[in-house]
Formats: sequence, structure tokens, C-alpha cells
Amino acid sequence: MAAQLSGQPGEIAVDVALLGRPNAGKSSLYNAVTGGDAKVGNFPGITVDVLEASAPLPDGGRARFLDLPGVYSLGDDVDPDSDEGQARACIERLEKRSEPFVIAQVLDATQLVLGLRLTRELLGKRWPTLLLVTQRDVLEKSGARVDTELLAKELGVRVLAVSARDADVRERVLRVAADLAKDGLPRAEAREFDPHALAERATKRTRPATDATARADAVLLHPLLGPVVFLAIMTALFSAVFLVADPASSALDLLLSRLSARIVSTFGASWLTSLVCDGILGGAGTVLAFLPQIVILTLALEVIDASGYLARGAFLVDRLLRLAGLGGKSFVPLLTAHACAVPAIASTRIVRDPKQRLRTLLVLPLMTCSARIPTYGLLIAAFFRHRSALFQAALFVCLYSAGILAGFLASLVIGKTMERRGPKALPLVLEMPAYRIPQLRVVLRMGWRACARFVREVGTVIVIASVGLWMLMKIPTPGAPHDPQHSVAAAIGHGLEPVTKPLGFDWRINVGLIGSFGARELMVSTLGVTYGVEQDGKKENVGPLAERIGSDPAYDAATALALMAFFVLACQCMSTVAALRRETKGWRVPAFVLAYTYAAAYVAALLVHQIARAV
Amino acid sequence: MKLIDLPLASAARIATLDVDAALARRLRAVGVFEDEAVVVLRRAAFGGPLHVRTSSGGEFALDRRIASAIEVLPALDDTAEAAE
Repeated sequence: MAAQLSGQPGEIAVDVALLGRPNAGKSSLYNAVTGGDAKVGNFPGITVDVLEASAPLPDGGRARFLDLPGVYSLGDDVDPDSDEGQARACIERLEKRSEPFVIAQVLDATQLVLGLRLTRELLGKRWPTLLLVTQRDVLEKSGARVDTELLAKELGVRVLAVSARDADVRERVLRVAADLAKDGLPRAEAREFDPHALAERATKRTRPATDATARADAVLLHPLLGPVVFLAIMTALFSAVFLVADPASSALDLLLSRLSARIVSTFGASWLTSLVCDGILGGAGTVLAFLPQIVILTLALEVIDASGYLARGAFLVDRLLRLAGLGGKSFVPLLTAHACAVPAIASTRIVRDPKQRLRTLLVLPLMTCSARIPTYGLLIAAFFRHRSALFQAALFVCLYSAGILAGFLASLVIGKTMERRGPKALPLVLEMPAYRIPQLRVVLRMGWRACARFVREVGTVIVIASVGLWMLMKIPTPGAPHDPQHSVAAAIGHGLEPVTKPLGFDWRINVGLIGSFGARELMVSTLGVTYGVEQDGKKENVGPLAERIGSDPAYDAATALALMAFFVLACQCMSTVAALRRETKGWRVPAFVLAYTYAAAYVAALLVHQIARAV
Repeated sequence: MKLIDLPLASAARIATLDVDAALARRLRAVGVFEDEAVVVLRRAAFGGPLHVRTSSGGEFALDRRIASAIEVLPALDDTAEAAE
């Protein structure tokens, strides 16, 4: 589903749909003009493929901006489910309504010919049209500028040269939108022109070009050096999540345990302090301590995305991914899934080959998303604290690699069972954008959003689940003594023990596994609550959760490794299941993903536990 | 000559796209079309894709299967006009 075109219609004077080739700079412009308060589809129940936000026009009223997915052509027949299909469906909807709209084509000034080819098709549609030539700053730095007056004269539409980084870009774009609305949104006229010749006439070169992208690619795509740099970047990314964020996380965790101790010593032990300390702080608070990791990961992925390196990654791994029946374009959703599988599922729409796309969807949940970080972090802190930081970081990188390897193998196995008939895989055609220095403001905003989303989830779902579990830990089963060992939660956990005993899991981990069926973070909050409640009334100073688990005789490193293996593979995330159902319009894919990942998780945890015990 | 056989950094012009109609439309839309000057910048290792630049200022990763189906005419003047 694309944009709902919601909002109070009376307020909106004009809809401005930003259309253009992928990577032309539409989203940067959109954020610069609207302040970037776009609704981003990263929570279950809402799919927003076309972003929309409004901004006030200088003469009153508002303009609603629609940030469409990139399109290469308006004539090329495309799959309506693909990102290009979504963009066209949105324009069709605009056309059918009677509300005023303008199609603002965003053209990359550094690739004017390619943009003008789309312009030629666009003018033929005779929609009210505006051209926004972006990357003005990049072009000027390379020693050229675009003659917008010439373009306007030749094409018969308004043309504005902008840069999303300009301070006045918002004002200028809104001014033009207001002017067009005032003029009654004149329709464009079809024109025949040679894009090459026009671009040549309209681009005035003031000095010879320098090509920083070519120089960077000489290293980053070097046949030998390129893959080495790629591996180094990925390793640095995943180990940084651990090395950089871990001290901050440990400090937060320590702070929480001190706060709990202070609350108990000030207000005395009661059911209320137990609820606050064990239920809320011990459960949700422990998860919250992993905020630094989530933020670091988001910032790093955003920098990779904004710099243009994603396409290079796709170029480098295309051959390798093809071995597993995936392709270079699968790389983007697979990497995105390392932050969260939900947006990654939507981003599989860029994979145009239907079989490759299905395989990508099926293996995406195996990538190590940020929701696994709290569990990994807790287990490493509990059982491998005595090892060096480097060893711990290496273990962390191993867990990430295990997810990638599992995805690769799963795709291979799935491919063997897939129908062989049908067309051969679509070959790779991928645009390689010029490198750009990421805008600090944009990267920080993404980091902030990830932060807000995480805090919101911890503050709602995880607090509720923690309090619910706290109650189940406090309520004894009928006729049993009043202690956590005989609570309802313990009874449920004990009930699963026959199945999970060979993996080394006891009732407390079982309760965590049940909780984490909904969301992975609940594993850590569950352990926080159970340990907290069990500690109730005991005099000794309560340390951080990791210390308490690490010194518990019920567990050892084999348990930790088995639990990690389980978390690498199991699709413990209802948001992912919902997103898969939405994306594939049925239950077959999500049911299959749940079944195969849980089965694989069980077998892997069993093997790891037995082998680790033997060693 | 096919694009895949074009030596690195030497200029050529795209003559025909010998692929099925849908893929040809796609290639033209993306920016790989007849009469464009093209230069191969590099080939990915182990039979991976080709990295090409066209005179429109676009750079693309193209699968080898596509590169073997694109007929090019090497430019007589070898000054790599595509890489301008």
C-alpha cells in the first residue's frame, strides 16, 4: 500500500509529488523542505512506501510533499509490487482525484542527460510539472553549473537549481510551489528534444572536472584490495557495535542496579519496590541499557548507505550471492536487516527477480538484527567477562558471521527445493552512484529516530511484558508455597523443560524463550525480572544482571553458547512475521520462516550444547 | 565486438542490445542505450559484474550475461571520450 493521502483536505493547497531516478536526491530534498518529519514504516500495521509530509506555503495553506520511490522510466512496464510500481500507483491516484497536484521531477545535475530522458517522458504526460535540479553544490564544486533559464525555455516548465544542503532551499521550493498554485498549475506540453544535446548546452563548465569517485573506486573496487576493504569495513562495523558501545552499556547497567539498591534501601522491601526494581528497572531497564549499541549500529549503517558504498558492496558480492541464488541487489536488504528486518523486508522490492526476492525474504530473518544485541551482550558479559575485550568482540563478530552463513546456507537449501521451471534469474543492472559525504544532520537524525523507537518500544511493550511477568512470578500455583520457584511463571517454564533440557535450558530461560517469541529483547527483560524476584528479601548487595547470571551454578558457557546459537537462527519477532505476511500477502511465507528457523535453532542449540559440554 | 570483450579503459559506442525486449527496455530506461559511448572501468573478481561508465555520466554494474549481449563498436580514436 502506498501513501494514504491522509490529512485534512481543506488545509492542503497543492500536492507536490517528488519524482525522479533513484538516488537523484529526492529524499534529501524532501527532508530539507518538510523538516524530515516523515512517517517511516518501521512498526507493524503500517506500511508507508511513499513518504508524505506537509509544509506551509508563503501565501497561506500548505503543500503536501510526497517522496516517491525512484523510477527510471514512465513507459517501462514494471511489477506493481516493486518500488517503481508503488511510485506509479501513487501518481495514478493523484491523477484520479480532483485535488490540485504538481509533479516535481528531481534531476541530478551531475547526470543531467539521464534525468532529461525521464523529463521527455514526463512532459508527454502533460501533468503540471516542475523541475528541481539537485546536487547544484556538487556540480559547482566540479567546476560547472546548470543554466536553468535555458532549460526552462526549452522545456516550457519552471526549473529550479537547488541543493538540499542550502540554507534557503525550503523557502525557494515552497515559493515556487505557491507560485504554481497561484497560476492555476499550468500543464506541461509534450516536447521532442535530444537529452544529450540539451544537457550539453545547459551545462556550463567553468574549469576541468576532477573525479574523486573514480579515485575512490580505484581502491574500494580494486580486484584484490576491494574485497579486503569490504571485509574490513563489515568487521569494523560489527565489532564497533560491541567495542564502542559496551563500556557505555555496562555503565548504564551498573547505574540501574545502583538505582535499584538505593530504592530498596530508601523505601524498604515491599511489593511496590519489588515491582519498580525487579519488574520495571530489572526487566525493561536492563534492555534499555543496550541503547548505545543500537545507536552506533544505526549511525554506521546510515553512513554506509549515505556515502554510496552500498552499491559498491552489491557489486563486490554479486557473484558470491549468486552462488546461493541471491544477487547483488539482495545485498541492500540483507545489510539493512542487520539493523531491523522490518524495513529490510520492504526494501526487498528493489530486487526485481521474483525468485531472488522470495529467497531474500526467506533468509532475511537470519541476519543479526539489533534486537539480538541485548541477549548477545548479556551472555558475553556474563560468561566471557574474564576474557579480553578483543576476544569478546571477536565472539560478537562470529555471531554476526554465523547469521550471514546461515542465511547463505538456507538460501542454497531452499533453492534446491524451489521449482526449477520459469525464467532464468534476471541479470544485475545496478546504478553506481557517485560517492557523497554523508550529511551529519541527516545521519544524526536517523540515529535519534532509532533511539526514540527503541526507547518507545522498551517503554511500552517491554514494560508491560516485564510487569506481566513480574506478576506471574509473584503468584504461586494453587496450593504451593509462596516463592518464585513455585510461581505460575516457573510452572510454565518447568513444563517446557523436557523439550529444552538437552539444550541446557532451565525454566527461567524457557520463560524467556516464550516471552521472546514476540520480541527478542524480552529474553533479557525476562531474566532481569526472574533474577530480581528471586533475589527479593535477600540481604546481599545486588550486582548487575550479567554478574548474577555469570555466577549462577545452573548455567555455564555451554548454556550461553547454546542460547546464542538459538538466537542466531530463530525468527523470534512478531513484527517480522507481520511484515512478511503483509509483503507476501499470505501466511505461507511467514509460517515457513517460523517453522524452519525454529527447527534449525533447536538443532543448532542442541549440537552446540552437546559439543561444548564434551569439549 | 561484445561489451564483455572490450579491453578496460578503451572507448566504444553501444551498437545493439541483443537481449529480450523487456530487458532492453529496462536497460534503456536505466541509462544503457544505443549510440551511447561506453567504457569498461573494471571487472569484479571471479566472473562478477562489469563496472561501466557511459557518456551520460552514469556508472553501472552490469552482469556478464548482459555484457555478452551488448554489441559495441570500438571508437577509432582511443582517447576514451566516454570517460570525459
